[in-house]
Amino acid sequence: MRRLTPGPPRRARRGRLAALFAPSLNRRYVLTAYAFLIPAFAFFALMFYLPIANIISNSLYTGPQADQFAGLENYTRAFGDEGVQNSFVITVIFGAGTTIGAIVIGLALALLLNQRLRGRVMFRAALLVPYLTSVAIVGLLWRNILDPQLGILNRVLIDLGLPTQSWLNTHPLATIIAVTLWMTVGYTMVLFLAGLQGIPMEYHEAATVDGAGPWQRFWRITLPLLTPTTLFVSVMAVISGLQAFGQAYIITGGGPANETDLYIFHVFNVAFTSRDFGYASALSFLLFIVIVIFTVIQLRVGRRNEVQY
Amino acid sequence: MRDEPTRAGKIGSYVVLIVVSAVTVVPLLYMGALSLQTEAETLSADPVLWPQTPQFGNYTELFERAPFGHFIVNSLVVAGGITLAHLIFDPLVGYVFAKFRFPLRNTLFMALLATLMMPLFVRMIPLYVMMSNLGWLNSYQALIVPFLMDAFGIFLMRQFIQPIPDDLIQAARIDGASELRIYARVILPQVKPALAVLGLFTFVFQWNEFLWPLIATTTEQMRTIPVGLTLFNQEYFTLWHLTAAGSVILFVPTVLLFLFSQRYFVRGITLSGLK
Amino acid sequence: MATPSPSRRDILRWSGTGALAGLAAPWLSGCAGAPQEDTEGSSGGDGGSGEQFTIYWNAGHAYPTYEKVIAEFEEAHGITVNFQKFQWPDLRTRLLSDFASGNAPDLCEDSLWTQEFAISGDVMSLQKYVDRDGAEMGFPDDWHPRTISRNSYNGEVYGIQLHLTCTMLFHNRTMFDDAGLEVPTTWDEFLDAATKLTGDGVYGVALNQDHSYSWPWLLQNGVRFYDPDTKELLTPHDKAAEALQFQADLVHKHQVAPVPTPGTDYSGPQKLFSAGRAAMILTGPWDLLPIEETSPDLEYGVVPALKQVEQATIQAGSSMFVPAKSKHPDLAWDFIKRITALEVETATTEEVGMLMPRQSWREEPVVQDDERYAAFAEGFDYAIDFTEPLQLTGKSGEIVELYKTLYQDVVMNNAPATEALDAFLTAGEKALAG
Repeated sequence: MRRLTPGPPRRARRGRLAALFAPSLNRRYVLTAYAFLIPAFAFFALMFYLPIANIISNSLYTGPQADQFAGLENYTRAFGDEGVQNSFVITVIFGAGTTIGAIVIGLALALLLNQRLRGRVMFRAALLVPYLTSVAIVGLLWRNILDPQLGILNRVLIDLGLPTQSWLNTHPLATIIAVTLWMTVGYTMVLFLAGLQGIPMEYHEAATVDGAGPWQRFWRITLPLLTPTTLFVSVMAVISGLQAFGQAYIITGGGPANETDLYIFHVFNVAFTSRDFGYASALSFLLFIVIVIFTVIQLRVGRRNEVQY
Repeated sequence: MRDEPTRAGKIGSYVVLIVVSAVTVVPLLYMGALSLQTEAETLSADPVLWPQTPQFGNYTELFERAPFGHFIVNSLVVAGGITLAHLIFDPLVGYVFAKFRFPLRNTLFMALLATLMMPLFVRMIPLYVMMSNLGWLNSYQALIVPFLMDAFGIFLMRQFIQPIPDDLIQAARIDGASELRIYARVILPQVKPALAVLGLFTFVFQWNEFLWPLIATTTEQMRTIPVGLTLFNQEYFTLWHLTAAGSVILFVPTVLLFLFSQRYFVRGITLSGLK
Repeated sequence: MATPSPSRRDILRWSGTGALAGLAAPWLSGCAGAPQEDTEGSSGGDGGSGEQFTIYWNAGHAYPTYEKVIAEFEEAHGITVNFQKFQWPDLRTRLLSDFASGNAPDLCEDSLWTQEFAISGDVMSLQKYVDRDGAEMGFPDDWHPRTISRNSYNGEVYGIQLHLTCTMLFHNRTMFDDAGLEVPTTWDEFLDAATKLTGDGVYGVALNQDHSYSWPWLLQNGVRFYDPDTKELLTPHDKAAEALQFQADLVHKHQVAPVPTPGTDYSGPQKLFSAGRAAMILTGPWDLLPIEETSPDLEYGVVPALKQVEQATIQAGSSMFVPAKSKHPDLAWDFIKRITALEVETATTEEVGMLMPRQSWREEPVVQDDERYAAFAEGFDYAIDFTEPLQLTGKSGEIVELYKTLYQDVVMNNAPATEALDAFLTAGEKALAG
């Protein structure tokens, strides 16, 4: 069989130049590929790359109108800014918590729902509904429910004779991670379910014949074959986790004392409270670089684990 | 993993699923209850689970106090239009990245993903200038065009197209099928569940988008529901009964769309489950 | 809203994007093919049709009396008013995006931003209008004197106060009477009353999660946010630490107040007060209506601010300004005159209970006959806009964010006030210098 996709990963890594001039490569397909891609990238250039280029050039300016040239001052300032460092650390914790949580819980739920169970459709619907609304509404709702003095949760706990909570004061970061997971595990579950369907049954049958137990089959077959989905889920979860905003904007206002001052929320305040668009652009660009690095690492690891059928 | 679960395993699965479902659904039911409470009940320091008399009037009040019908139409046009565009463009580009070998493929793919890594609000002002320049402010074009496709959808489709065996494509090529025909007749039917997922998530995301419609609309008639909902709050407190009613309305189309697209997930699953 | 193309300078400032979009415009329009969806709403890039008058307003302030003023204004000038309402944070996001791209509404209600935008050149001086019409409309003589300087810059008027409010002490009369307590006038009396009233599911006092509600305490202790002479923040420092510690002690040491929970809503204390779960709160007239709504039978009073070093409280409210790029500044001024007319002020107080800046408004029966409105009007005389001197540094946004952290660290997290204050001062000095 001739493969169009890079076959064994090692061969693909041998070099792009080789690919360019490989005699086996059919020119026609390359042209077809570019014919499809050019309009897409024209769109991205106009709507994304130009604005991003704009942001990078803005990051060299300062002042409320972002019109005074400042060179790299915004960048040196960022590295000495304790508020920025604090929010960066918080955001990495938040991103790690939401990514790992979404993958582990989402995959576990997908495996449960991939069995022949009664009411499967209903459970799937129930798990996904929180994702069908917006972070803003989820935030308002949970802020209302969790309020130690006024929320319905403590009212119910009191009625049941249980001790009350004040998690937004005592564990604010963990609380917004939990609320985020509440909203997103259904979404990762659906993606994993879709991925699980793509695994040909023959693999499982073959493994069962070989005497592999369910646990072994999970590690040896399901998980490796699920790599494209897992890769997608983890890349997207890191990207959105590191750019989370609404949780701080709506639920905690970044408090108490900046304990939930998510990076993008911090940048938003630099832009729209302090009106320092130049600095906000620099901070955005720095986060951009961090996310690019995380993503490249994930794609590298993912590509190594990708299985060719 | 699709073999008959044991009895104990089955019971355990049910218990877990019932508990988790309760955790996800009950807070939303509470939102439904809030939407039927009186203003006094929602403002009270002693929250109630269920209103004394359900106030269905909260829903009509939304329409009386603001052009809520406009908001709904705008949201449907914008989110619907964007979703259609995504369903057309994203799988196509995803297919190219999944099944073609061409120079700079990985670099271009990374460049594509990079578009997801800048928060919208920093891109917002350049985009706003652009829309203003085009004379598009306050139009559906301004709300739709910047979001015609995105790397999320392309990435998603690439991941789901990748496992499709290359033999299928090769066979079609040998039969002399054109590239577009291969895409439409061979690839798309294989990824229906993923398309359902893509359509649903794109719609949900755009339906709830707030910041861009806030900036790109310049009359209240052009606002979408999330932006329109901000009209119902007071300066110093949230009018919970109206906010919750609006949130429930915001919920309805996404839930309907989910119930509709769910059929496709189900079919995919049962087909393989029957084997 | 009339939205003409941004000027050349704006296009240059936002580098190539705008210019390129301009080049791409015919191509893109050709592709889109759809006609302008809402032609009445957007005059597009053709320089503005001149028939629209755009106002940005707080969504909570769209009172029927103001709708009436708008209708009359439209009638008088043959113009359509595009009345856009936002919550404050959204209004600011919108406005800054407009400023950055060269658009602007014709008139804007603002929340303490006049000086900031006067300094940045985004708002126009109203001095020539004031010189012309001031005597006739009673500006500045009839406006409360404490509302003039906060809306001025370099000796010129940039904004006109629309609403005037302040925070005062609300107390539950029934609880005070039952305990045989007098209304407190000093911090010691306050703590004493709060201690005696705490218990049995009732807190003596409830503090707000929002940092600005802590300012009455600092002002009463003689603290100012910024001293333009010494360029120091929160002076005198020891008094500032003391005022913050006093509030933290109410929560953590004396436990006469619940721990405030971080958030973005201001209504927590009011809800506890309405439900009879807090005996005292510090708040403004905006909470009168919700209390009326939820607990019409509550016996409560609004009493003067406490006195420690001095009697003081915070001034709040909103103003209106005309953006420098307003296309109808003359009409905007006319609108300002109409909406601040005494009859409109009085009618608005009557209908929705909002309080107003005119001195003559204070003499009206609607104010004088209402014990609570009258109490607030008394408070106007010692209420202070605590951010005012700070505004002139151009760094107030950043410094207020730092103060928010300080407040939450001390009052919510129980960090020692002196240490937290030191951290604030270090960061604040850096921000001022930067």
